[in-house]
Amino acid sequence: MRPASQVMQLDRLGSFHQTRLSFMRTLVRRMVTENWQISTPIFDLDDQGYGTVVYQVEAKYGTFSYVLFSHYLDPECRNDRVIADQWDLTMALCEGTVDAEQLEYLRDNVPKQEAGRVDSRVMVLSRANRSARTFEYVVNELTNGRQPNIDVIAEVGYLYRTTAAYGSGKLGMADWEKVWTKHRDFARPFAAEMFTCYILRHFSMEQADYLASKRAPKIAVKLDESIKRYIGIGNSTGLGMAPFLINHPLLINQWVEMRETALARVVAASESGLQKETLVRLDLGAKRVIQHLSEIVTGDERQHKSNLTVQKELHLLRLWLEEAGPELASNQFVWGTLIEYAEQHWHVETQEVINTLLIELYPELVDELEERMWVEECYDVTPEMSVSDMISVIEDKYDWALAIDFSKQESSGVFWYRSEEKMEPRLGQTDIDLGMEKEMPLGIGRRVRDCYDQMCSYNLAQPNQNVAHFIIKNPTRSGIVARMQTMAKSHYGDIRENLLHTDVLPIHLLRCKLSFFGVSKFDPRSRLWVRNTMFQGAPLIDDFGKPLCDDWQFPIKPIFTAG
Amino acid sequence: MKVSKNELKASLHKAFEGLGFHSGDYHNAADMVIWLETHGFYGFDRLLAALSYLNTTAPVHADLSQDDGYNFVLDGKGTSILLCGSEAVDLLRAASKADSGAGLELINCYNRTFIIQRLVKAAESNVACVAYWRQLDYCVKVSVEAGDFLPEYKTFSLIEEFDTQSLRIFSGPSVGIIENQFKQYLKFGSLIDTYESVKMEDCYRNSLEHGVEIDEALWKTLDDLVARVLVESTELSRAGAGD
Repeated sequence: MRPASQVMQLDRLGSFHQTRLSFMRTLVRRMVTENWQISTPIFDLDDQGYGTVVYQVEAKYGTFSYVLFSHYLDPECRNDRVIADQWDLTMALCEGTVDAEQLEYLRDNVPKQEAGRVDSRVMVLSRANRSARTFEYVVNELTNGRQPNIDVIAEVGYLYRTTAAYGSGKLGMADWEKVWTKHRDFARPFAAEMFTCYILRHFSMEQADYLASKRAPKIAVKLDESIKRYIGIGNSTGLGMAPFLINHPLLINQWVEMRETALARVVAASESGLQKETLVRLDLGAKRVIQHLSEIVTGDERQHKSNLTVQKELHLLRLWLEEAGPELASNQFVWGTLIEYAEQHWHVETQEVINTLLIELYPELVDELEERMWVEECYDVTPEMSVSDMISVIEDKYDWALAIDFSKQESSGVFWYRSEEKMEPRLGQTDIDLGMEKEMPLGIGRRVRDCYDQMCSYNLAQPNQNVAHFIIKNPTRSGIVARMQTMAKSHYGDIRENLLHTDVLPIHLLRCKLSFFGVSKFDPRSRLWVRNTMFQGAPLIDDFGKPLCDDWQFPIKPIFTAG
Repeated sequence: MKVSKNELKASLHKAFEGLGFHSGDYHNAADMVIWLETHGFYGFDRLLAALSYLNTTAPVHADLSQDDGYNFVLDGKGTSILLCGSEAVDLLRAASKADSGAGLELINCYNRTFIIQRLVKAAESNVACVAYWRQLDYCVKVSVEAGDFLPEYKTFSLIEEFDTQSLRIFSGPSVGIIENQFKQYLKFGSLIDTYESVKMEDCYRNSLEHGVEIDEALWKTLDDLVARVLVESTELSRAGAGD
């Protein structure tokens, strides 16, 4: 596997793309192959599309209910930020069926989101806002008997975008421990949250069809299936996701380790020879990514340049495959050589796209890893370790942190804090913004450095002591000591970045996590938040139970002639 | 009202942070409260008792006053086990050997029942523990076998005078070895009561299935403590979240 010093650099993590192990991919594989049944016991919308819908889900192991409330929202109040308090849609995914009493309780609380309370029968709480650019346009076109222009759809990619999907016990919901021990259908990280977004996608198209049929019952047409598949769900992700990565280092290590294990298996498999058909699939994959990237509309200069560079370099890859392809299958070429070439000559994002494409070629080697994406986030002190050994561990595993010069002002140029507005995480400028005394402890590098310095001094004064004695004398260090000792046993360890640096790019953290979710079309709106698209290209619920076409990654415009 | 375990943990982390606890301390303290409450040991009542002290002073940690490598005395200086229980058990874990144990007396400390969670945690790392202390006019004895997830909790009549605010803990490779090695200390009167591990397990499963019942006033108290770590929102600060 690739070393932590390479993989855990923040700019590389921020260049990851989805893989076969991403949570949307694994969820879709499961729903389609297990033929989950989705029915609609309640579809109670008025002519404006407002009201209540309940979808009943018969998964392989259990029954679930997806309860959705559609509300009128003044366009002036439409806001994707965490601090918003009104939305076009609010939803809850519940275990079992929902009776009238529970539905009323949900109606009283789900639309309030963070200001409401739910109970442990609820697994996910979410909300969504309409796309001002596409929703009315699509409904109008359908109303007039036309399919929407695919170029308009391509520019946005969705009819609704979700701004949060809460699970894991927030606001009174079921704990993750309950979900993974009781509900096998969702016993993978973020499976229930992803499912909530998937059904939102289904509803968004059903609602568009419904509104068109109400407005012009005789003329209206339904959305074409190929367009439906190309419609995803939008997502806006901001700083709120960043602390999650720092506060769940074992989980992030696990995700990265499984991804790297997949890549290592692929490289090892190529040592037994490459099939011509595999090379053709790689070429097709590269072609698809080039088209996918060319269809992305982003106002972010950095991302736009990166997209162009990746396209150019993938063209080079395709040329090389065309020229050398016939010989590669016979001359014992291995993927390790391609990866090495890309690392030496191409952009980091191209490198990670190629890794994603290679992983895609070997589902039989990769897919079983999807069952190993979870680990309990639990840190423990190893108290018997000698202080001198602990110093060596820090020098070995946290050399990146010790290399940061914290005497430079820019090394501590920002700080992270929680706002009183819905506890939203925010970034402040050191010595300028309010709240430094309430800083969140996300500066792992600085905490490591402070602890290391204190430990070295302690070791000089009291040699031959163990960590337990060090903590007795320095009790405020117990947290970082537990973290370092725990992470030192993991393969990839902590993310190697000083999150307090003036020029830190939190967007890399967001993108890293979103890549494991499986999103596409990254459109950074600043260094602090990013828009993206979920489930674009994915099978529809009508495809469940049919042979799975698991090739919807890097969605591209369907070939469609409006009739 | 009902809250989830995860929600409770997040709230307790920030509430303890609001009381001045550092990372590590607030993780451990939250784990202790949650474990006791979800296993039927009235963690919230004990938390309320602890808050009446913790809310009046900056965090105080224990001092090591005696240490011969296997026997320790820690002076809690009137602090809560929430702040010194982890250090005490970690000292014992470090001193335990494959064939012999270690002992520790923690004097001048409060909220001692919280130590149970730390003993269970030590057992997870394959160290057995036995602890006892005086509670009113009886004695509480807690034993956890190495590798076990639940303790044995018993109460006995007193047969000797214990200091009312101290706690003795012994560690070793197994409860049997501890009881043999430290038998001169482990003398109790007649058995009063046993809290069965099956009841602890039922309590835990129930809280996982239906949520943890918490008094709204306590939840409000935690919210008020959480507010101490939040920063006032201004138009300028909104820019720090992407506006």
